[in-house]
Parts: sequence; C-alpha cells; structure tokens
Amino acid sequence: MATVSIEERRNLARLSHRIGFGPKPGEFEELLSLGFYRSAERALAQAESASPDLAASLGLKDLGNQPRPNSPEIVDYVEQKRFQLRTMTLWWLDEMVTQENPITERMTWFWHGHWATSYAKVDEPIVMFNHVDSLRKSALGNFRDMAKAMVLDGALIYWLDGQKNTSAAPNENLSRELMELFILGVNRYTEDDVKQTAKALTGYKVVKSSGLVSRNLRQSFTGDISYLGTSGKFDAISLTDFLVNRRDCQRFIPERLWYRFINSSSDLPNNSAIENAFADRNILSSVQALVAHPGFIDPVNTQVKSPLDWLISVLRALEITPSQFERPDYLINLLNGLGQRPYFPPNVGGWPADEAWLSAASTQTRLAAADYLAKRGQLAPISNLSAAARLEGLANWLGVASWSERTRQALNGAIRDPQRLAVLGICSPEYLVNA
Amino acid sequence: MHEVVRRKVDTLTRRKFIQMTGAGAIAAAAHTLSIEEIANAAISRPLPLGTPILVVVTLYGGNDGLNTVVPYQDSVYQSLRPQLAYKESQVLPIGEGLALNGAMSGFKSLWDMNQLAIVRGVGYPNSDRSHFSSMAIWQSASLTASNTGWLGRWVETQKEDPLLAIGLGSVLPPLLAGNRRSGSVLPLGGLKVPTGSLASDCAKLSMNSPSDDRLTAMAARTMRNLFEVSAEVTPILKDPAPPANDLPTVVGGNAGGDSNLSAQLEIVAKLIAAGSPTRVWSVSLGGFDTHADENTAQSALLGAVSGSISKFMSQMRSTNRSKDVTVLVYSEFGRRVRANASQGTDHGTSGPVFLLGERVKGGFYGEQPSLQKLKDDDLAVTTDFRDIYAVLLEKVLITSKERVLGKWGSRLELIN
Repeated sequence: MATVSIEERRNLARLSHRIGFGPKPGEFEELLSLGFYRSAERALAQAESASPDLAASLGLKDLGNQPRPNSPEIVDYVEQKRFQLRTMTLWWLDEMVTQENPITERMTWFWHGHWATSYAKVDEPIVMFNHVDSLRKSALGNFRDMAKAMVLDGALIYWLDGQKNTSAAPNENLSRELMELFILGVNRYTEDDVKQTAKALTGYKVVKSSGLVSRNLRQSFTGDISYLGTSGKFDAISLTDFLVNRRDCQRFIPERLWYRFINSSSDLPNNSAIENAFADRNILSSVQALVAHPGFIDPVNTQVKSPLDWLISVLRALEITPSQFERPDYLINLLNGLGQRPYFPPNVGGWPADEAWLSAASTQTRLAAADYLAKRGQLAPISNLSAAARLEGLANWLGVASWSERTRQALNGAIRDPQRLAVLGICSPEYLVNA
Repeated sequence: MHEVVRRKVDTLTRRKFIQMTGAGAIAAAAHTLSIEEIANAAISRPLPLGTPILVVVTLYGGNDGLNTVVPYQDSVYQSLRPQLAYKESQVLPIGEGLALNGAMSGFKSLWDMNQLAIVRGVGYPNSDRSHFSSMAIWQSASLTASNTGWLGRWVETQKEDPLLAIGLGSVLPPLLAGNRRSGSVLPLGGLKVPTGSLASDCAKLSMNSPSDDRLTAMAARTMRNLFEVSAEVTPILKDPAPPANDLPTVVGGNAGGDSNLSAQLEIVAKLIAAGSPTRVWSVSLGGFDTHADENTAQSALLGAVSGSISKFMSQMRSTNRSKDVTVLVYSEFGRRVRANASQGTDHGTSGPVFLLGERVKGGFYGEQPSLQKLKDDDLAVTTDFRDIYAVLLEKVLITSKERVLGKWGSRLELIN
C-alpha cells in the first residue's frame, strides 16, 4: 500500500467524499487496494431499492387539519408533528451514516437541493417526507419520471403556490421556477413563456395535510397556449414532458451535477460526455460519465464540504449512529446552526456551495462540535496504532489524501492524545476542503 | 446586440445566483470581522467627524412598489387589483395622488421633515424577472451582471482597510464583492473564541501553508480570523445603543415584534456612534416575494423597514454624526400591476427607491409610471438605478462615478 501515489489517494478521497459521504473505519484502505476504477464501479452500484412504503414503516401519517388554538386537541397534535419531523430527520441521517454504499442517499440529497422545497412552508411531516422519498425513488433513474412526479407533488406545489394558480388569474411562481431552476436553466425561455406555461399549471389543488393532488377543472385553463415554439393544449404532465425534451434540459442537469460534484465556479465544458450521457435523461449514466470525466480527478477542482457533508463524514468515521446518539437533537440543532438542516433549504435555489460555508462563525461551531463528538465516538482506528503510525492512520481513517507540513506540525503536537488528534483532524483545512 | 447581452446574463447569473443565495465564485474572499476588531479600530482610528457614511438596505424578494408608494386615486390601480388595492383611509397621503403604505408612519414623519426622497419607477432596460438575475444586475450595477459588486469596486478604489465596507450577516452580500479586495462581513451575535490548548492547536492548524490550494488556504484563513482578535479592547457592543430621544416610547401601531433588520441596524447604530472607520454598511431584509396573501405580509415587512430605519435615524440624531449618514433602500424589482388569484402579485418591473438623511433633498424624483400605458401589463421604467448610484458615489462616497460605473453620464441631484 505504500506504493499508492498521492494522485491516486486524492482521486479516491474525492470518490469517497463526493460520491459517498466519506469512509467508515477501514474503508479507505479497501479503496486503496481496489484502485480507482473498481472503487468507482462499486460506489456507483445501485443500492437495492428501499421498502415501498417507508412513511408507514416510520409511523408517519396524515395528521389532519390543525385543531383550533387553545382547543384540548392542539397540544397532542403539535407534539405528534414535532415527533414525526424528528423521526424522519434522524432516519435520513441514519441512512447516510450507516449505509455501506450510500450513492442513493447521496443523490437523493443532491435532488433535495435541486427541487429545493422546505418544511418551513409545507409544515406537514408526511407530505415533506413523501416529497423526498419520491426523489429517492428516481434518484438514479430517469429524470423525466422524476420531473413528472415533482410537478404533481403536493409539497412542491404547495411550496410554490401552485394550489393558488387558477385560470382566472394565473400565479407564475411554479411555472417560472420549473423552467429557471428545475428543468431548463435561467433565461432559456422568455417572460411570455412563463406567463403561457403558468396557464398549463392552473387548477391543481393540494390537500395540505396529506399532500394529495387533484385538478379542479373549473379553475383550469383549457384553451391553447403558445410557448417555446409550440402551441396546443397542455397540462402539468404534457408541459413537463415537453420541457424535459428540450435540448436545454440535456445541458442544464449536467451543469448542476458539475456544479455540485466537480466545481461550483467553472462552467461545464461544452460537448462533455456527461451531457451526452444524459441524452435519454438517464441520471445514472450521467453520474457515471461524471466520475469518469477528467474533471473529476483534475487537481484544480477542489470543493469545500458543506455542513451536512462534513457532519455525516465525521459521524461515519466516529461510528456514531444519529438516532442512537445520547442526544440526537444535538445533531439536528448543529446542522441547523451551520445552515444546512435536511428538509429546510433556505430558498427555492437550494443551498450555496464552497466559500459560503467558510466563515469565522461556522469555524467556531465546527470546533465546538468536533470537541463534543470526539469525546463520544470510537477512536480505535487511531488509538490502536503506535504514535509513529498515527499520522498516516488518521489520514486513512478520515479519507484525507495528504497532510500539509503545517497540519503535520499541528497534529504531531497531539500525537499521544487520540481524542485531541481526532478533533484537529476533522477541523483541519485538508478535511474541510476535499482536495 | 440585445440577444448577446441576454446570453451573457444567462451564463453569469447561474453563478451569481448562487452568490445571492450565499456562495460564490466571488473573486476576492471576504474578511470576517469580529466586534472586538471593529471596536478596537473605532478607538484607535475613529472615522473623522463629517465623513459621509452610506447605509444600504436591500429588500430581497421584489417589493410591490404600488402598495408601498400607493397611487390610491388612480382608478386603474383600484380596478386591476381590487382586493389588494388600498383606499384613501388606509394610507398616508404625501401629495401628487400618492400615499405611503399605512404601516410606514416612520417614513411619513421623515417625509414631513423633508429628509426622505422617493425616486419613482426605478429599474433598468429590459427588466429581467428572475430574482437572481435581477438582483445580480442591481448589486453589480451592470446589465451583464459582472461578478463584482458596485461597492466592492468602490472598495478597490480606496486605501486597503478591512473596515471600510461591512455587511451584516455571515455571508458576503454580492454588492460588496470586489476582484482583489472585498468588503467584510460581521456575523450577527458576534463570535466566541476558543481558549486554552484548543486555541493554541488551532493557531498552528490555521497557519499559511505553501501547498494549499485556493479553497484550503481560505479554510485556514477563516480559522485564523477567528483567533486574530484583540482581547483587551472595550467591548463596545455591551454598551447601550444610542438613545432614540425624539421617538415616542411606543413606536407606532406596527412596532410589533423585533425584526432581524432592526437588530442589524441596532449594531450599525452602535458602531457608527463608536466611531468605526466604516463608510459603507450593508443590511437586508427578505420575504418580499409576495405571490400570495400579500397585504398582511407586506405591511408587516414595510412596518419593520419604516420603523427600524426611522429609529436608526433618530438614534443618529443623538450622536454627532446624524448629518453624515445617508440611507438607500431598494429591491430587485417591483411587482405586476394586476393581482393574481391568490391575493398576491407576480414578478414585475420598476419600483420606488428611497433615500433618507439630513443631506437628502426630500421630495419626489422620477416620473410615476403611468397605469394607462403599461408595457406587457407591467410598469414602465422611468429612472435608471445607476442615476442614483452615480449621485451616491459622487456626493456620499466622494468618488468619480466612472471609476465604479464605467461610462455613465447622468445622475439624480437629490443630495446636498
């Protein structure tokens, strides 16, 4: 293993942290012996599909209308709601932390940031859960299926006021974001297209507590609309079909993959294999092409770990299962404080990337969290090693390509104290930034 | 030509958009300040009295101008948004058939004191109704959404000083982003710095390393910033804020709960009073994207804007800097004239911009867009926003407008 080059270590660290959520103990050494090609194959092997009705198995259910303020039922209602939100949050964090091969959850997380819908407005646990679970079902499948499911998704429609869009006075919120943020990309349509397509989305109604969507034909526009060079009768499904068929969609989704997985400040190169692989809108093919793309291993394409990426990789290394942790709510509050709580994207544009996560305030929070978590996690992967072997052991444990001379010096000062060593490792610039 | 410009916006705004939501390909990294650092500078090198200060208030989401400066006598206004339109009894008339939203009693007092200028119909050519593209244009002062902010470019014309321009919050607002240097950010709530052995470990861990790439170097620098603070300065923020002597104890009918904007302005007021060598402050308030049930939400927000800014102006009057401070209030676009079916409005074009301060020549500027002559159902743009930036640059920031705006001929004469 001493023969593994620094480049190979860096490529594998990228694979482990970007396509997965960082290595569990022993996993990085496995990747080193498998090599990049076989490791990539393994990372992209689709996990078996989850059980068909996850919501029911987690005890999530329609809570009905909110009881009146000060009524005897309100306390129980609010407590159930809070409990369900907590259950589904910890369940998701558990999946990210415990899965051997978390590609499905990695991609579900990506899509959650893409179709960024927030519980802050949806306010119904089961509706929010089903929204994300719907993304999970086609996370690596066909984008067309996903887009059709989303345009009739109760949470998304409610989030973007779709239920208030009627033929008498169309509400353009959903139609604009459908084109700008979800399917085509900004300015790949005209203002008139926004107004026209809003009509195709009229009349859809959402039952708030269940997310059930139906169409009220009396409030639906039934005439012809003209947009993007076509005209005719369209509803949510045929409109989505048409948009997904546009050449701009084949460019836009690979652009978003490039942004999140490779580089947030350079553009997707033209005519890339990533874009070609998306010709039939197959997501897995496009992700495979992304990992095989020279950009994926180009040293310039470093990335800052987002708060969720950072925390999940720390928990995987320390073998802390969120729902089993002594204070599970600490973890949820921590993500909230760092600005990236699942089910709560900040706006319809999703979470930011890279530099935005680097502030003195977040550094302070990460330091305190690292200190708290290292006291409660498994340190065996380094404490079992002799002091002389700990620097390399720490790098392999955490999936770090290499330590700079600066960081080596800091770590050497703590070499006999595994807990301090762990804190410094997970707060080091080399861990926070995926080289 | 027009098409070329649009495409350019297209490719750049994708990134710009992310900056707007927080991230970014901002060229120069922001310096994160601590309160101590600012307090220290306020003591050792206070801003000379009489130096003009600009406070920029950004309203995110697209504020509905027609329900802010209300053409309540206009029958087209009443008929295009019957359930949203305000009647005379609900608003605060200020002449020319216009009135301030009923929640803006603070602004009305400043109007009566001749310290509020209202510029009507402000926007830019070929309005872009995307929040992200439009905000990028306003904040960069460039129709092709350059990736530097207009005040970031101003920072680069000045002597290097991390305290020169400060945005409140944990993320650098794009308007303060420069190429080589940017404005700084001050997180709300300040910072608690670790002590003891963790502190000394971190000091080592955050040193410069020649092998760092750009982002890794930035990660190290951010940690360094956390520790590079002086422990021996007067904790100015623990001092009480300057009093607002001339306001009644209970502020208006809409004082309501504390808004984040008032917390931001409270800090700005303290630091200006303390003498922070800062010439530009940036604060913001979100939530103006009122596609549904607009009136309640918007008047609560406008109440917060009017109440917190008039309190801030009043606090300034209890210091010796009230003549120095000018406040700019803007949003990325106005909203559609016609209401949608959700008692809200969709994205539109032009809207009013407010300027406040003792040096501001109060009154109306720019033509009120006619409701008889809508363009694609939207308001016309009668004043270019750069005419306002131009006068702020030259009269408040004492810098030739060309250095920031490039070739730009005109400016609105609304500051003494």
